[in-house]
Order: sequence, then structure tokens, then C-alpha cells
Amino acid sequence: MTDRTNTERVRSIDRTTFFEWLDPRTKPARHKFGLIGLGFLAVLPTVLTPLQALTVASAFFMALFAMSWDAVSGYTGQISLGHGVFFTAGGYTSTLLNLEFGLDPLLTIPLGVVVAVLAGLLIGIPTLRLRGPYFALVTLIAPLILLRIFVVYSDILGGATGLPRPDQLFGLQAGDAIVTYYVAFGLFVVVLIVLLAVTRSDAGAVFTAIRQSEDAVSSAGLNPAKFKIFAFTLSAAVGGLAGAAFVHLPVGSPTPSSLLTLFVNVEIIIAAMIGGVGTIVGAAIGGMILVLLREFLSNLAVTVPVLGVSLAEVDTIVFAIVTIGIVYYYPDGLLRSTITLGRRIRAWGASKSNDRSRLSRRQPRETAATSEETVNEGNQKHGGNGNER
Amino acid sequence: MVNGLAIAIQAAMLSALYAVVSIGFTLIFGVGGVLNLAHGATITIGAFAGFYAVSAFDGGVFVAVTAAVLVSGAFGGVLYLGLIRPFRDDPTIIMILTLIVAIAIEYLFLVVEGTSAYTVPQLVAGTTTVMGASVPYNLVAIFVASWLIIGAVFYWVNRTDTGRAIIATSMDSKGAFLVGIDSDRINLLMWVVASILAGIAGYFFGSYLTIGWSMGRTPLILSFAIVILGGLGSVRGSVIGAYLIGSIEVVTTNVINPQLQGLAPLVAVIVILLVRPSGLYGKEIDIG
Repeated sequence: MTDRTNTERVRSIDRTTFFEWLDPRTKPARHKFGLIGLGFLAVLPTVLTPLQALTVASAFFMALFAMSWDAVSGYTGQISLGHGVFFTAGGYTSTLLNLEFGLDPLLTIPLGVVVAVLAGLLIGIPTLRLRGPYFALVTLIAPLILLRIFVVYSDILGGATGLPRPDQLFGLQAGDAIVTYYVAFGLFVVVLIVLLAVTRSDAGAVFTAIRQSEDAVSSAGLNPAKFKIFAFTLSAAVGGLAGAAFVHLPVGSPTPSSLLTLFVNVEIIIAAMIGGVGTIVGAAIGGMILVLLREFLSNLAVTVPVLGVSLAEVDTIVFAIVTIGIVYYYPDGLLRSTITLGRRIRAWGASKSNDRSRLSRRQPRETAATSEETVNEGNQKHGGNGNER
Repeated sequence: MVNGLAIAIQAAMLSALYAVVSIGFTLIFGVGGVLNLAHGATITIGAFAGFYAVSAFDGGVFVAVTAAVLVSGAFGGVLYLGLIRPFRDDPTIIMILTLIVAIAIEYLFLVVEGTSAYTVPQLVAGTTTVMGASVPYNLVAIFVASWLIIGAVFYWVNRTDTGRAIIATSMDSKGAFLVGIDSDRINLLMWVVASILAGIAGYFFGSYLTIGWSMGRTPLILSFAIVILGGLGSVRGSVIGAYLIGSIEVVTTNVINPQLQGLAPLVAVIVILLVRPSGLYGKEIDIG
């Protein structure tokens, strides 16, 4: 009898806390800003031209690719240099099943995810058990092997130029920009929620611990290899899903240059580095920034002095310089730096208002010294924990 | 059989060149514990430096190789001082940064020079015949020069005071610091020397094949594979690894299918990693 009431009580507590947890008003400021950002993206198409909507839709895909990379490399510190393998595994599987057997994209996309997961296991199980740069080597090699296979069997796999366009998801046309936008946005939100849930769970804590010290994780009785393979497989699944959906929408195509090449693989890393690795949200923001910045550069009519080419032609070099600058000055990425800045401003604002209330009580002569003191206190209290997520 | 001899000669000679590239790669790793993924870009820089020097000064091979040495050495030094030193305790960041630099340089050459392939003067022109197999003198010159370089590096690392300082730093940089070795200078030296090796190798590759914006990729991947196979940080392992990988590469492209270029060595490396994870001569190194 008592047991049952206890259980019920626990359940009801759980329920209230869950609803409280859902209530955005209980969230810290950075989450509120995130929700406002998502809300903004949800209503954004109302003010965009169809072409702009497609650009933002492709930005969602870059964000998806970067999040997929961040889930394994940002969290466990195992740097994948060839994540395009999974986008390609998903995209090519889905395209080939659609082109050869006429299956519907809604069926082929999940099969693409399955193949991407298998590819993840194939690469992850042998290499993630080892320490050192072996994982990086194999992920660097894997896209090259895949590309070579495409070239050797180019009659089926399309060689270096890629495959023809498969059927579009829901029969979308190039003109259906708004629907494309919302399909990409929906996928983005679902993947964001899944990856946030995993990385903020206990497993996510283990991922971060692996990045810090594998020995510590082992000595806590956990098998680092198991968690690394889990992170990698999850990442492969997300990458495969993104790649498979990408090729069935007007924004993407099943070609090595959009899914597999070294430029693609490095762009994803650059995106995550700009936003901030090991945060998921940072990678998402970085991915969107990258695409929107490229769009911005392509509209600028600026010529690079010595080279005599337009700025848009050297966008990759611009991104490389931006990334190096960010690694230099904001090594935690834009997201964490912004959160830290926000905390500083809030602390500063709080200390200001404190001063004002003290001002009425104290002699004017003391105020200058006091306010400086309080600001310092505020900084120590709120500014120092920028790594907290 | 004649064909087989020609392939064997080609394998022996190209492998020496791969060894030169790999030694640079492994020196940087052995001493600093970091991977330089811009090593391939340095190859491209060296090759183009030679190419520009030849067309600018109307010079010969000597001018070209000098330019390759100077420009690639300067590039290595600047790269270390500007980008690597601030992050030298974080191998992950360095790996990513050097990859980004490599991509930026490749892209720069792609924008400036386009996708065409260029030729540079051969070290020595002409062809000789060894037991019925034709061997270009250029390949012989590359072979001899490569082995001279390999020998010099061996002597330098094993027999000189600087070499002992290098070995000490690679064993334990704190211990080396205690006996008065400036590990920062040793690291800088490694980056410069490794880049010079890559730059020379770049010109040699160019004289044997052609030069182009992405010419550094295959040597980078192969040398990465070679040093993993030979054991990271082991110079001797790199030479042996280079001969294994180089032979596999030449034999598969000549005997089986030219389209397999760059594929067989990579598959071999993955197989070897599964059987012998720390390479042939490697120590267990954890770079996190």
C-alpha cells in the first residue's frame, strides 16, 4: 500500500517536473535564445524569396552534416577527417535503390541510413579500439578508396561526376522552395533534438570524458571503445540520413563534389570549429553561417588584389582564414564565446543596478570604487564558467 | 620478365622518394607528437617554387632545387612559429589546423594555376637500358639523390649533437629541457627540415611526373600510411615502410590495373593496422 502511494507520488512528481521542464520560462537565458532562434527560423520563409529559402534549406543541410561530425569528433575527440563517407553512403544508397529499382524515396532514405550505419561499424570497430591517430588516418583514406571505387565502377556508380538526379521526396519540384525549406527544417529540428538528448545524457558525459582522458573512463569501469563506437555509429546514422534526404531534395545532388571530396570533409570541420566543437548547437550554427557567408560572398563584387579573381572564387581560403582566426582568438568557438559574453553583460548589468540601489544609501564619493569592485565580483562569479553547458 | 625488371627498378626508385617524404612526416611526429597534414601541401609548394624559379630566372635544375629548398623551408618555419607553436600541447587542433592550411594552399594553387598539369626540367635527361629494361636517367638521379638525403638524415640524427638533442626531445621533452635542450628550437628545426625534405621531394615528383594543384595529396596519404606502417616516430621504420608501400603501389598500378593507383597501399595499411596496430617499429604512442 505504502509502496504504491510512493510510486504514484514519484510519478506525479516526475510529471510535474517534466511539464515544468517543458516550460520555456524555467529555462536559462541561453536556452531561451535558442528557442527564439528556432521560432525565428520557423517563420522565416514568410519574408524570403524562393531562392533565399532554398539557400537557407541548404544551410540546414550543412548544419546537419556539421552536427553529425560534432557528435563523434567534437565530443569524443576522435577526429574524423572523412565524414563525407557517411553522407555518400546514405545518399548513393538511396539514389541507386531509387534509380535501379524504382523504390520510393521514403523507403530508400531509411535504407541509406542502414548502409551508413554499417559503414560506420566497418570503419569504427577496427580503428576506434586503437589509440592514436589511426582513426584519423583511416577516415582520411576511406573517402579516397570510395572515390576510387566510384571511378573503377563508373558505369554503375557514375565516376567522379556523380549519379543522375533521383526522384524527389514527395515529388517536390525545384519551384517548391517553401516545402523544401520546411522539410529541411523539420529534419534539422528532429536531428538537433536527438543529438542534444544523447549528448546531454550520461552517455554524452562519457563522450566528453573520453576526450579528456580515456584512462579515467577505463578506470571508472567503462569501456571507452564501446562508447566511441556508439558515438561514431550515431554520427554515421545522422550523416547518412542527412545525405540521403539531401539528394532527394532540390538543394542537393548525388555527386562526390557535394558529398564526398576532401573540400566537403574539411568544410564540415571548419563549420564546427567556427561554431564551437563539442556543443552540437555550435556546429549547427557554424554550418548555417558557412553557407550564408558563402552566399554573401558570392553577391559581393570584390576582386582579390594580387590574384585578380572575385572573392567568391576563393571562398574556401576565406573560410580557412576565418577559422584560423577563430581558433586563435575564440578557441571555444562563437557559441561559447557569445554565452560567456552574455553572462558578462548580465553580471555587469546586475552590478550596475546594485550600485544604483546602494547609491541612494551611500555617500557619492565612494561610488566609483564600489562599482568597480562589484563588477570584478560579478565577472568572477558569472564569467569564469564559460565551459559549462 | 623484362617488364618485371622494369617494374622492380621503378619500385625501388620511387620508394626512395616516398621515404624522403615520410621521414619528414615522422620526424615532426616523433619530436613534437603532432601530425602535419600540410606536409602534402609543402610538396606542392616545393614543386611550384622550382617551377616558378625555372621560368623566372631561366635557370636549370640547380636553381629550381635551391628555390624548392628555400621556399619550402621558409614555409615550414613560418607554419611552425605562426600556427603550431601556440597550440603545440593540443595535437587535435594542430591536426585540424594543418589540414585547413593544406586545403587553403591547394585551393590557392587551383585558383591561380587551374587544373592543368605543368612540367619541370628533369634532373638528368635521357634514358639508359639495363638488361633490356629502359630506365630514365632522371629516375636514377632521383634514386641517388633520395638515398643521399636519407643517409644524411640518418647520420645527422644518430651521429651529431643536434641529432642526440632531437632523440632526447622525442623521448621526453621535459627530461631534455632539464639537460639544457631548447625543445622549442628543436621543434622549429624539425618543421624546417621536414618541410625542406617535402619541398625537394615535391620537385623530384614533378620532374618524374607533372606538377599540379593536387599533386601533394597522394604522397601525403601514402606517407601517412608509410609512417603508420613503419611505426610513428621511427625513421628506420619509415624507410622500410616506404619500400613496402611503394612496391605495392608500383606493382598494382603496372601489373593489375592503372586505375587502382593509390588504392592497394591504403587497403594494405588497413589490413596491417588490424594485425599489428603499432606498426613494424613503432612505440606505443598516445596522442589522444
